[in-house]
Amino acid sequence: MTLPSYFHDYKNDSFTKKSITLAAIVLVTFFTPPVPAVDFNSVANAAKSENVQLSQQQIASLKKKNLTAALVWHGSSAWVSAVTQGAKESFSLLGIKVVAVTDAQFDPAKQVADLENISILKPDIILSLSVDSISTKASYRSAIEHGAKLVLLSNPIEGFVHHQDYVGIVTDDMFGMGIAAAQLTAKALSSSGKLGIIYHDAKYFITNNRDQAFRETLRLTPQIDIVSEKGFVKEHETSNIAAAMVLQHPEIEAIYVSWDSAAEGVIEALRSLDRPDIKVITHDLGVSNLLDMATSGNLYGTIADRPYEIGATMAKLGAAAVLGQSAAEVTIVPFDKVTKNNITLAWQQAFKKPLPKLLTQALQR
Amino acid sequence: MVRSALDQVALELASITKSFGGVHALQGVTFTINKGEVVGLLGDNGAGKSTLVKCISGIHAPDSGEIKVNGNAVFINSPEDARAVGIETVFQDLAMIPEFNIVQNLFLNREIKHKNPLLRWLGWLDTKAMTKRARKSLNRLNTRIPSYKEQIHNLSGGQRQAIAIARAVNWGADIVIMDEPTAALGVEQSAQVNDLIKIISSQGVAVLLISHNMQHVVETCDRAVVLYQGRSVADVAVAEVTKEDLVGLITGAKKIAA
Amino acid sequence: MSIQTLSFNQLKQIALQREAFIYYIFFFVLLFFAVLLHDTAFLTLSNFMNIVKQTAPLTIMAVGLTFALAVGHIDLSIGSVVALSALVGALLLQHTGIPLAVIGALLVGVTVGLINGLLIERLQVSSLLITLGTMGIVTGIARQLTNLESVPIINQDFTFFFGSGKVLGMPILLFWTVVIGGCAYIILNKLSAGRHLLAVGGNPFAARAMGIKVTRVRLYALIASSTAAALAGLLYAGRLHGARYTLGEADLLTVIAAVAIGGTSLFGGRACIIGAILGSWLMGIINNGLILSGFSTNEQMIARGIILVMAVAIGVKELRHG
Repeated sequence: MTLPSYFHDYKNDSFTKKSITLAAIVLVTFFTPPVPAVDFNSVANAAKSENVQLSQQQIASLKKKNLTAALVWHGSSAWVSAVTQGAKESFSLLGIKVVAVTDAQFDPAKQVADLENISILKPDIILSLSVDSISTKASYRSAIEHGAKLVLLSNPIEGFVHHQDYVGIVTDDMFGMGIAAAQLTAKALSSSGKLGIIYHDAKYFITNNRDQAFRETLRLTPQIDIVSEKGFVKEHETSNIAAAMVLQHPEIEAIYVSWDSAAEGVIEALRSLDRPDIKVITHDLGVSNLLDMATSGNLYGTIADRPYEIGATMAKLGAAAVLGQSAAEVTIVPFDKVTKNNITLAWQQAFKKPLPKLLTQALQR
Repeated sequence: MVRSALDQVALELASITKSFGGVHALQGVTFTINKGEVVGLLGDNGAGKSTLVKCISGIHAPDSGEIKVNGNAVFINSPEDARAVGIETVFQDLAMIPEFNIVQNLFLNREIKHKNPLLRWLGWLDTKAMTKRARKSLNRLNTRIPSYKEQIHNLSGGQRQAIAIARAVNWGADIVIMDEPTAALGVEQSAQVNDLIKIISSQGVAVLLISHNMQHVVETCDRAVVLYQGRSVADVAVAEVTKEDLVGLITGAKKIAA
Repeated sequence: MSIQTLSFNQLKQIALQREAFIYYIFFFVLLFFAVLLHDTAFLTLSNFMNIVKQTAPLTIMAVGLTFALAVGHIDLSIGSVVALSALVGALLLQHTGIPLAVIGALLVGVTVGLINGLLIERLQVSSLLITLGTMGIVTGIARQLTNLESVPIINQDFTFFFGSGKVLGMPILLFWTVVIGGCAYIILNKLSAGRHLLAVGGNPFAARAMGIKVTRVRLYALIASSTAAALAGLLYAGRLHGARYTLGEADLLTVIAAVAIGGTSLFGGRACIIGAILGSWLMGIINNGLILSGFSTNEQMIARGIILVMAVAIGVKELRHG
């Protein structure tokens, strides 16, 4: 699960928030799923998405069934769109019609309503990311009452039993991503040097695990010295944090930031401090930062997941479940280590779309 | 001093004063109105007419002086007090709710409640009874209204004035104060309002008429009281003076012992 | 007035009233989706019950806001009251029973309404500014109260009464809508209290001159508005088996749109409860219909805007030529 998909929308919601005068006092954490999502063991034992395949016979029999599917998402972003696209294209190869796509805008009440609305269509397969496992539980329950197969993205639903209530959970390899980020950092520093860490200082399952896996892996390379570690809560804070960090420790050679849009602030600060030498490592793909990377700016590398493949995997799991085939509790989707030389490939891998023109031009220069 | 035929005093004002900060708006106003009499209250802008009206109708309390209604001294501190002693005011803007219909305006804050005691306690309205009473009181004024369900803003100025007057009289007022009732009206509608004033005064109601329009005053009033710089400077029988005399009194060019 | 005694002309007059607008729009949108979605289950009782359930908190808020608008005030704090009352109710439920939790939650509404009203009348500042301020304060308190954590509710009686329950086969949320809507309708149209509310909104000077206690009436209206929002918070909590600070956040504009399209004036003096209820159901129908038509979420937003504008345009045309 990449972060921009959560946070972009989170900043932009209703004007209610903008008028909040006391926000400064109370911004402590982002919303936290009340139940921890998949744990380390389930990820370690998880099935791999590349092993999820359907036979010609299965495809033929699915095509005869005239099945329908509904996608019940938590929010909207480029990332969610890529998941939707992956799901839709896989479904269409199987002759399954997507009858509804919903966006809860991170509002559990909206998601409950969305689930009620799509239930009327009696879809055979539901792909969904639950905004809040407690509030939405009853609605999921009634949505699957008619026999719909539920495939979940990232967050489990409290009390739901694998095989019985849902087909399985598809998620990023968040631990693998943290490890990969550490390996990329070691490569950037040639295995020795001074590192700063700007981490997500909030109770948030995915970022916390990724950051933790990063730290643990880094310990294996003792020559890399972590000279400063600072947390942030909101993305816009990272610019000031990075500036302070570099002023305090001018010897820093690289900075790790929890995700792409938070890294934008860090890169902006490094530019205004005129420190093109400091390398930045992060997660996810964002056009602005990739542009920086393409023009040999601060961004050294990023770890990107594959939203399109997540959607495609969910679709295949759901379809297979209709045919009575069971799935692993957790299926993980691989990621890519992205540096300047494989931007194009990684982008296509993640989004199954051509690289934006601007980036192509920047790379050609 | 000139008296009209009915020699019973309805309203008596004695040495009314009222100041706002350093401004002495009223500095001793004294006059009386008899039952069934129409008295014009004249004066230039700033002479204290509207302040006096507000003192009588309970919007301001006077600083000193005495108000007597039917011979009894009264203290008027609120519009409710004024109403309780039988003084009704027809304001210049008529105090109408434009979105309300005729019946709703006539019974504003004096709604007839349902007969059932429980519903009555809740404040349940008895629309039928109110419509019936409305028809009666408008008939009493010889006013023809197209429909009692008509909203006020669909009515002509004269019709609205009639309804405002009907509302005042409806509550058994002894004294009706009218603030510039014809200011916004055409000739024909002004004439209708004049007729209304005659009708209610013939029913024994004392009318205090504030107006700029000399013609209107001469046509409808029995007497005229003139305010000049916060004092009542003249109290004359309209029949005995000319319009020019009145203008002279208003501007202070002419003086008569009050 | 009873239907039998209406002449054709009177009927025509009623049809042309501003309040009748919502009926045209409602009918038009319903027809639109009924045709578009004839092959789905759009036109089924269970789908409409879904819509009623989803919009119940919205409807209650719309009914409350109608009171504030009737006296000429706007109440922007209702969305924040929803969140705070739901959280207070959910937290109290962890320690006490339903009655105290409900009273506590509703008290949140009463208090906020009282504060809004007193500030507006004492400072003589527009309700827009005051309630914008209290909205911020209440939102902040709601966020602070649980540190942005959501509070689950496991009391099944509570979730029955305020959310998922059914009475005589009908969702209990429909009963809430009908009861609150019915009471509000009676107050505004049948009782002297409603007459005074509308008088204060229509012409406060006239109302004061006629002896109506304008300040007090406005205060009651604001209390009604935010207490209704507090009840909406309980309905959300019951429906979602828990409360969180984001509840009601996105509802404010929808509620204002629903009330306005329902024929209530945003400037006081004219209020239509049935219009407010139909208006919020309309929002629910549009949302439901668009999801059932299989649009992507961006397309849904565009379509929602187009439908609203078209509905309003057609309604206005009907009024002019009808």
